[in-house]
Amino acid sequence: MISANNSSYLARIKPGWKFGALLVLSIALYLITSWIVLLALFIASAGLLLSARVDPKQLRLPLISITVILGIVFVLLGIQTDWLNALRSVLRLLTMCLLAYSVSLTTKFEAMLELFQQVASPIRFVGGNPAQIALAFSMTIRFIPELKKVYVEVREAQHARGLANNPLAVTVPLVIRSLKIAEETAEALDARGYDSDPAPHQR
Amino acid sequence: MSRNSSSQTKNTVYVALFAAMIAAMGLLPPITVGIIPVPITLQTLGVMLAGALLGPWRGAMSSLVVVVLAIAGLPLLSGGRGGLGVLLGPTGGYLVGWVFGSLVIGLLFKYWVLRRTGNATRLLAGLASVIIGGIGVIYLCGVPWTAAVTGLDFGTSLIGSAAFLPGDLFKAVVTTLVALTVHRSYRGLMS
Repeated sequence: MISANNSSYLARIKPGWKFGALLVLSIALYLITSWIVLLALFIASAGLLLSARVDPKQLRLPLISITVILGIVFVLLGIQTDWLNALRSVLRLLTMCLLAYSVSLTTKFEAMLELFQQVASPIRFVGGNPAQIALAFSMTIRFIPELKKVYVEVREAQHARGLANNPLAVTVPLVIRSLKIAEETAEALDARGYDSDPAPHQR
Repeated sequence: MSRNSSSQTKNTVYVALFAAMIAAMGLLPPITVGIIPVPITLQTLGVMLAGALLGPWRGAMSSLVVVVLAIAGLPLLSGGRGGLGVLLGPTGGYLVGWVFGSLVIGLLFKYWVLRRTGNATRLLAGLASVIIGGIGVIYLCGVPWTAAVTGLDFGTSLIGSAAFLPGDLFKAVVTTLVALTVHRSYRGLMS
């Protein structure tokens, strides 16, 4: 999980403020062209991330992948333009990623999702329904392990028929079974009287 | 969108289920297929299928739900990636492209592919649609994004994405065949 039960000072700031600051800073980073300033900002963002006492284990994988990508970018840019330009670009991206992880790793997943739902709430003025969005998010999380299980079952069944590596023989039953699950779930929700429309007096 | 709450609930369930399928496909280990050198992850297969099976709006919503959940911090993207960093990083454009990719595939399937009658024309139209939406549109968002974020020129960024082209073409073929097979038995899926 790229989000955490962090108790540092950063975790106490409201997600909306952190998010806004991240947006402003990432735009600002593109306006800065001095590599010395960018280096200073990079060190500052690393300091920020460290000061939030995040779990280094959570950072290992994302940092490895971004380092590999940026390594390639650095070499290509260095050859194509000049090395100072490559350094600027890589520092900028690293700073942005460190800042992004500082926000992600000090914000609870629920708080982040709540923020997104607040941002999306104006869709009710164009006929959308915020309650349906909340339902979609929670159902998706609930369905992921189930679909993984279905996939493994289908794959095993097709393996017995010698079709485990045939993508069609695996994907078609997976999709059909998913559609069945969807129908059953929708029926179950209806049977229990789930009604996501807000009550008339609340409108 | 229908104001009928029962069909609205059903739409939401379909969106959630396909979002979960896209996510589940990202959690599976990458597979190697025959002559293709790079192991391919199935995640964009889910993105393509969502558009081709659910149509434009529900398909795009499925992709959007996965992208939002991943950005909010769930490690749903292939390789266990997630968090705000992936959106701001060099490959963030592909993620945004998923939403538009599913949308375009859905539009083409709904208004073009499923109105063809001959089997062969349907197949060709389907394949063309998935390639336009699932490869064209996604790369159109991803390639300039990489170029803009890193400062690399457009051509280099395009060449970089070419490594994924064989895998994506393979997924486009699978999507077309699966979608047309499923539409044959579930006729009312997009109505």
